[in-house]
Amino acid sequence: MIVSTTPNKRAALLEEIRKLPAFFRRDLLVTWSYKLQFFTDWINLIGQVVVFYFVSGLVNPETMPSYGGTQASYLQFVTIGIAVTSFLQVSLARVTAAIRNEQLQGTLETLLLTPTAPATFQLGSAMYEIAYVPLRVILFLGFASFLPGVSYTIQGLPEAVAVLVVFVPFVWGLGVISAAATLTYRRGTSFVGAGASALTISSGAYFPVAVFSKYPFLKFLAALNPMTYALYAIRNALLGGAGWGPTLIAIAILLPVAAATLAAGVWAFRLALRREQRRGSLGLY
Amino acid sequence: MRARVPGPVVTSATEAGDAPAVTSAPPPVELVNVARRFKETVALDGVSLRIDAGSIHALLGPNGAGKTTLIRVMTGLVEPDAGEVRLMGIRLSGVTSREIRRLFGYVPSGDRTFYLRISATENLVFFGRLYGLSRRRALVRAAEVLEAVELTDAAMLPVGVFSHGMQKRLSLARALLLDPPILFVDEATHDLDPEASARARELVAGAVRVGAAVVWATQRVDEIRGFADRVTLIDRGVVRFEGTVPELMGTSAARRFLLHIARQPGGGSVIERVTDLLGPSASVLPAGDEGGEGEHLLIVLEGDVALGDAIAVLANDGIKVVACREERSEIEQAFLKLTGAG
Repeated sequence: MIVSTTPNKRAALLEEIRKLPAFFRRDLLVTWSYKLQFFTDWINLIGQVVVFYFVSGLVNPETMPSYGGTQASYLQFVTIGIAVTSFLQVSLARVTAAIRNEQLQGTLETLLLTPTAPATFQLGSAMYEIAYVPLRVILFLGFASFLPGVSYTIQGLPEAVAVLVVFVPFVWGLGVISAAATLTYRRGTSFVGAGASALTISSGAYFPVAVFSKYPFLKFLAALNPMTYALYAIRNALLGGAGWGPTLIAIAILLPVAAATLAAGVWAFRLALRREQRRGSLGLY
Repeated sequence: MRARVPGPVVTSATEAGDAPAVTSAPPPVELVNVARRFKETVALDGVSLRIDAGSIHALLGPNGAGKTTLIRVMTGLVEPDAGEVRLMGIRLSGVTSREIRRLFGYVPSGDRTFYLRISATENLVFFGRLYGLSRRRALVRAAEVLEAVELTDAAMLPVGVFSHGMQKRLSLARALLLDPPILFVDEATHDLDPEASARARELVAGAVRVGAAVVWATQRVDEIRGFADRVTLIDRGVVRFEGTVPELMGTSAARRFLLHIARQPGGGSVIERVTDLLGPSASVLPAGDEGGEGEHLLIVLEGDVALGDAIAVLANDGIKVVACREERSEIEQAFLKLTGAG
């Protein structure tokens, strides 16, 4: 590139940050124009809780792990699993779909012709989800706490939120990688479902990872999966009130992984964008 | 409109103490030997162009000529395989810099380039914010450009309910949000009714009056007359003609006119008489007998024979020409000739 960039990098950065609320407003308006979708999302989520409520009657409580010295009930255990899984699935799907939707709506090229950095598009496209999805998790857990036999340690909420905050860039990074795949292969969204399922199954979202003891490969996958650590820390915080100890350990593990995933995502997206420009197929879908 | 077109650059005096040297500003758009292939298909082959400030440059060509690809290359959406593109003297290379993207507005040929579920104002404010405007400023500009394209009444309606023509006008409004010094307009009047087309051209002409350089891609040959300052005719990726509209018309071969001749008092066909009278300066062909109303003849004038002279010859011999119209415009004929379709 021969062109000089904006002389004042700080001013340029501030200008990019000032664009983010515009993405948030756009997505809020678009989402609210599909009111039925909003309500069906909640109905699905509540439906899942109802299913697991009845499944919990089949589970021997003694097989459940303890957190901070407190043995969790299956319903307590699984509601946190559902909350974090839905956080992963919704975030991943929406970040990926954002690019795909721009392609399908025909707005991708006009967006890319505005003086906006690719990183702003990526963050901007996720702004609404970054605000809404954690809120959704908290509201869901609040709703679940009314179920018989389910209670959470409110004091553990800051630790749980801290873990989620570190987990966000990991999910966002995965989303951007999958957005890059979508930009390149058009049908990249199918990777998202497969990836999210693999992460969920091996993380112990719906059952304790101890059940993997007979399956060394799954045990190995669980140990590699950042979501395993996020779930463990959040359960420790919300079910056992275990304090910052387990949270900080989880954050220490998640932070470098999240940073690396996000960096890989940004790199992959730039690469995909560059490739499409060379091929001249940016607007094709 | 406030197109920011740089004026002449005054350089410092030379060491010898000469008067300051004045160098002219670079042209807003300059292409040198741009080539682009899509697999085996040659989309652009050595295209060179220079578009000056305060002018409309028409890109004329049939479907698939390479006009849209050329505009996409100029905006940086597609990288050329070879050659160079400069906007305001700045070379486009790789991913287009953010600064370059502030220099131009783009009206794409496609219809669906807006968020259909939200209003025209919200769409324009969103894009305005991405161009770096504050929300307040973006709202003001959105209202101004919506008024300019006569969409104020529809400002709060979701774009999804807009007609094709309204979306085109909205697209033009978006391109004018920042009053950029360069406008790339791709088939803006395609499928628009004559009134809407004229309004779109008027808006673009307004931007040109304050110094903008406009690249106007079209396949509607007659809309460039009296509108474009220069025209590049492109076909299968190759520039077939570059010059002014009158120069393009000058490349037109024989001109064809349809004459409506009044029924002669004595009856009978006049074709032989007209053929004799016009001699080698025109070919005369029958084009339909109107019975009692007269006869239609197609005359093809050769060389620089003036239509008025030909009609005068017929009138002097008592042949009454009731009406006359050009069968194809000179621009259309030039277009067909240069693209090998005529």
